[in-house]
Amino acid sequence: MAERKKLLEIKNLKQYFNEGRPNEVKAVDDVSFDIYQGEVMGLVGESGCGKSTTGRTIIRLYDATGGEVLYDGINVHGNKSKKQLKAFNRKMQMIFQDPYASLNPRLKIADVIAEGIDIHGLAKSKQERMERVYELLETVGLNKEHANRYPHEFSGGQRQRIGIARALAVEPEFIIADEPISALDVSIQAQVVNLMKKLQKDKGLTYLFIAHDLSMVKYISDRIGVMYFGRMVELASADDLYRNPLHPYTQSLLSAIPAPDPISERTRKRKSYDPASHNYGDNESVEFREVTPGHFVLCSEKEFKQYQAQSK
Amino acid sequence: MVVEKILQVKDLNISFHTFSGEVKAIRGVNFDLYKGETLAIVGESGSGKSVTTKSIMRLLPEHNSEIKSGEILFNGKDLAKLKDREMQKIRGHDISMIFQDPMTSLNPTMKIGNQITEPLIKHQNMSRHDAKERALDLLKLVGIPKPEIRINQYPHQFSGGMRQRVVIAIALACNPKILIADEPTTALDVTIQAQILELMKDLQKKIDTSIIFITHDLGVVANVADRVAVMYGGKIVEIGTADEIFYNPKHPYTWGLISSMPDMDTEEEELFSIPGTPPDLLDPPKGDAFAPRNPFVMKIDLEQEPPFFKVSETHYAATWLLHPDAPPVDPPDAVKRRQSQYLEMTGVNSGAVGLDKGNSQFPGKKEGK
Repeated sequence: MAERKKLLEIKNLKQYFNEGRPNEVKAVDDVSFDIYQGEVMGLVGESGCGKSTTGRTIIRLYDATGGEVLYDGINVHGNKSKKQLKAFNRKMQMIFQDPYASLNPRLKIADVIAEGIDIHGLAKSKQERMERVYELLETVGLNKEHANRYPHEFSGGQRQRIGIARALAVEPEFIIADEPISALDVSIQAQVVNLMKKLQKDKGLTYLFIAHDLSMVKYISDRIGVMYFGRMVELASADDLYRNPLHPYTQSLLSAIPAPDPISERTRKRKSYDPASHNYGDNESVEFREVTPGHFVLCSEKEFKQYQAQSK
Repeated sequence: MVVEKILQVKDLNISFHTFSGEVKAIRGVNFDLYKGETLAIVGESGSGKSVTTKSIMRLLPEHNSEIKSGEILFNGKDLAKLKDREMQKIRGHDISMIFQDPMTSLNPTMKIGNQITEPLIKHQNMSRHDAKERALDLLKLVGIPKPEIRINQYPHQFSGGMRQRVVIAIALACNPKILIADEPTTALDVTIQAQILELMKDLQKKIDTSIIFITHDLGVVANVADRVAVMYGGKIVEIGTADEIFYNPKHPYTWGLISSMPDMDTEEEELFSIPGTPPDLLDPPKGDAFAPRNPFVMKIDLEQEPPFFKVSETHYAATWLLHPDAPPVDPPDAVKRRQSQYLEMTGVNSGAVGLDKGNSQFPGKKEGK
């Protein structure tokens, strides 16, 4: 496991809005993590915790306030010529949350999907371009005839498939999926998640999967990071996180998910999280520490020892 | 134990007149709502859950919708035929509603306090002063801190969870007999959702209302529901107590719904997904609407609509698979897992593996919440 290649290294990433003004918001505050090649990294947290901002900053939809995002060892942020940026954009793509707002209503599906192909000059002829579009439509479980329609003619699940086809059009290595299934029905969610999993296997993709539906995240992810108020509070393998959540916020988040199980629901006790409960002293340094191999928690020295004892 | 029926919906049929023709959104819906219970209605978008409840409130658009037939009996009155003026007395007083999106269901130009006192002044002829006192109590009841200050604020000064609390306070202002909650927590975070659900259960105990809870999140259903109705293609296809629906479902659509959710034990296997798309209600299929997506489809499904088969006193399902002449089928693994899980947890066989042709000994007792 240790030998796996780091595809993405995020180091002390900061994204502040309204910087220096009284209404400054630290949307992402000193977040560091790595994403290995071929894995699915899940990112969870409540709305406003900065998980989407993290995703958008990684792909450079926002310019980072501080910190680095290294993709294959090259910093994504920082000065880049147009050409370099274009090359980078081809490797990294994004799938957006709202399948209704993320497709241009005035473009035909063929043009929505082929936009990336055109920009990067991936098709030599018109015919090749259309063939590529048909192929992509098939990959995501739609068919040829759909290419000439407009977005409004599709259901939410179908639109999300189109969004996925568009992301795949430029043959990326890394896809950021920002709540790709939150807007969909349960039965459709399963279809889209299955599709994403299959694509990952077939094409060796790496995903950053951002969501607030924890059971789906657990299902699709290899590792999961939990964010709270702009900071990463816990990062562990999916199983570890669910079996042995250490940070009190993670515990409260897990206890809040209703399980489709009436009997256990009747007896469930919810935990609530109060940030004041840590009682950090002034000279205690609160850092992201590795409690067990691969399991990181944001904690003080004292808590660290306590967590280590717990995990034995 | 005789439980009072507070609302009866009988053979309801509703259509929308659109440019492309008549959309038969609700096609013969029947159910009863008992006093003090929570009935959850689940189903995918377009299955008719919201239309059903909006018709109870008579909130369907007048220009293009039509209640073709059926009765909605409340207090001996048929709400489907009530005059607007009479309906106004019931709406917000005896029956009130919580909408999905707390961002848009409050009036942005009105102070919170005035929005809460509005139904009190209108329905209960309270004086402004008394109504304000009651509004303060209500805000306290739904857990909003510093109500004296909050009452003079506008909706934009509240967060999503707080706004939904305000909406609940308005809905509860007149102690309604029925509360209809249409996806009340879908727009909220899990932690806030947990708080709102707890709040609703708490309040239900205090004022003894019946709740109709619409959602597509089966986790939420398991948390709040006493009974569950599963809708598909404008009809109820299965109805039963929460335990019956979750641990011993009989309709293949319910099987599909339950199998398509990952639970914490779901490992590498592929998630089950229901193939195909929902039926086109412009031209509803002959026979069972679910037939084209049903892996257990039989010839009769394509020809004749299945009636309700009785599984237990409280549990009914509309599928030909329950007919005595139907061949035995093997439910999906996820369903079998649930049956054995139930056996383990309660020591009661949740109505046998496979299908018992309608005579299963299902424990129909409803456990108190």
